[in-house]
Amino acid sequence: MNSTWIDEIIGTAHGVTIAVTPLIVVFLIFQVFLLRLPLRQVADILKGTAIAAVGLFLFLVGVAIAFLPFGRAIGAALGSMQNVWMAVVIAALLGFVTAWGEPAVRILANQVEEASNGSIRKAPVLYTICIGVAIWVGIGMLRISESIPLLYLLVPGYGLVIVLLWLSSKEFVSIAVDAGGVATGPLANSLLLALALGASSAVGNGDQVVNGFGLVALIALAPVMSLMMLGMLIRLKTRK
Amino acid sequence: MIGLLREKLLEVLQVVAPLILSVCVLQFTIVHAPTALFVQFLIGSVLAIVGMLLLFVGIDLGVVPMGKFVGAELPKKGSILLIITVAFSIAFVTTMPEPDVLVLSTQVDEASNGAIAGRTVLYVISLGLAMLAAIAMARIVFGWSMRYLLAAAYLLALGLAFFAPPQFVPLAFDGGSVTTGVLSAPVIIAVAIGVSSVLAGRSAVSDGFGLVGFASIGPIIAILLMGLLRA
Repeated sequence: MNSTWIDEIIGTAHGVTIAVTPLIVVFLIFQVFLLRLPLRQVADILKGTAIAAVGLFLFLVGVAIAFLPFGRAIGAALGSMQNVWMAVVIAALLGFVTAWGEPAVRILANQVEEASNGSIRKAPVLYTICIGVAIWVGIGMLRISESIPLLYLLVPGYGLVIVLLWLSSKEFVSIAVDAGGVATGPLANSLLLALALGASSAVGNGDQVVNGFGLVALIALAPVMSLMMLGMLIRLKTRK
Repeated sequence: MIGLLREKLLEVLQVVAPLILSVCVLQFTIVHAPTALFVQFLIGSVLAIVGMLLLFVGIDLGVVPMGKFVGAELPKKGSILLIITVAFSIAFVTTMPEPDVLVLSTQVDEASNGAIAGRTVLYVISLGLAMLAAIAMARIVFGWSMRYLLAAAYLLALGLAFFAPPQFVPLAFDGGSVTTGVLSAPVIIAVAIGVSSVLAGRSAVSDGFGLVGFASIGPIIAILLMGLLRA
């Protein structure tokens, strides 16, 4: 235990307090003016919120001492590799693994199976999403090492999504846009965010803020696209 | 509570195990970080796992019921202004403690050497999300088309990205994707389902979905605007 750890812990506790307090204040205002729940339920809600706050604190300390520095170390190793394509493949594999482990992705795959009345099974959906995420993490890694402006990827990406909005079946539009957030949970996001920052500083091509950020944004675009394409396929199938 | 803990523990381990395994493989193949850093990684992972477990349990016990009560109570008042105001404030206060958002805001401070204040980004993200969540709630009430709203929001985000200073663009789009997380999503959906279930002729399912994805475009627009204002 050295002093930087203690600083980290105090800073995190401070941050959590600032983040959680408005939630409690707003709930209490609702309680007085709108909800008027019995006291027992109020106590339960406050207890749950307190547990969540403690969890958030431990999570953030853990992420700060584990996932952020190690994500940077992995990023630095990838960024300084001689063979860029090797780094791209490794990043893509990591993207696949993170999406594969995410329970929300599996829940989504079930949802799609239901929404399509079973005509699209969950396994292909699961693979589509994981492969989509893998491809985009790979592209994101390539972007960092070649310093490609993010807009060159986002404009065609979102352009395609906007076109697919009209080509995809209606029920799929909503499922797909919500899917943006599911592909990577808090842990994977922290790891990949730090990895991108580490890689960008190892490549050393200017501003970390310009090159290091943006990877998570690409990951969020991946499932939206994959699912809308599936939605388009379903529409074509049912039209016949 | 014990049952819930066990269920969540399984969920958390399922997410974390492949991640930690891949990190270990990478450590011994290409990273070769100092042993101290690797041990620190393992210790931190345990903390993060316990933290996630408590966070998920706490959200289920406290935060989601809060959203459900609000969603059930709101439409009874019959005021659209009230529905939108409450949706706005609940979206704002549940985005601030979102773990991904907090991590991003600390990384902003570090990567920009304090040039872009992480705490400001935290508020701007929450504000942007809350605005679009309020618009999404109005959509349910007035029955606007989701496709047009989404297309308009995406186009606005892309359009602003061309004019905003380049150091804000990647941050903005990252900010948009970290927000649809473990805390705000279930609460906003609970409120939306509550509202749409009371309005006649609205399907709770199709109204409830899409909302979170739409709202997550808010932070993109908000951070880009922040960049434009600072330039």
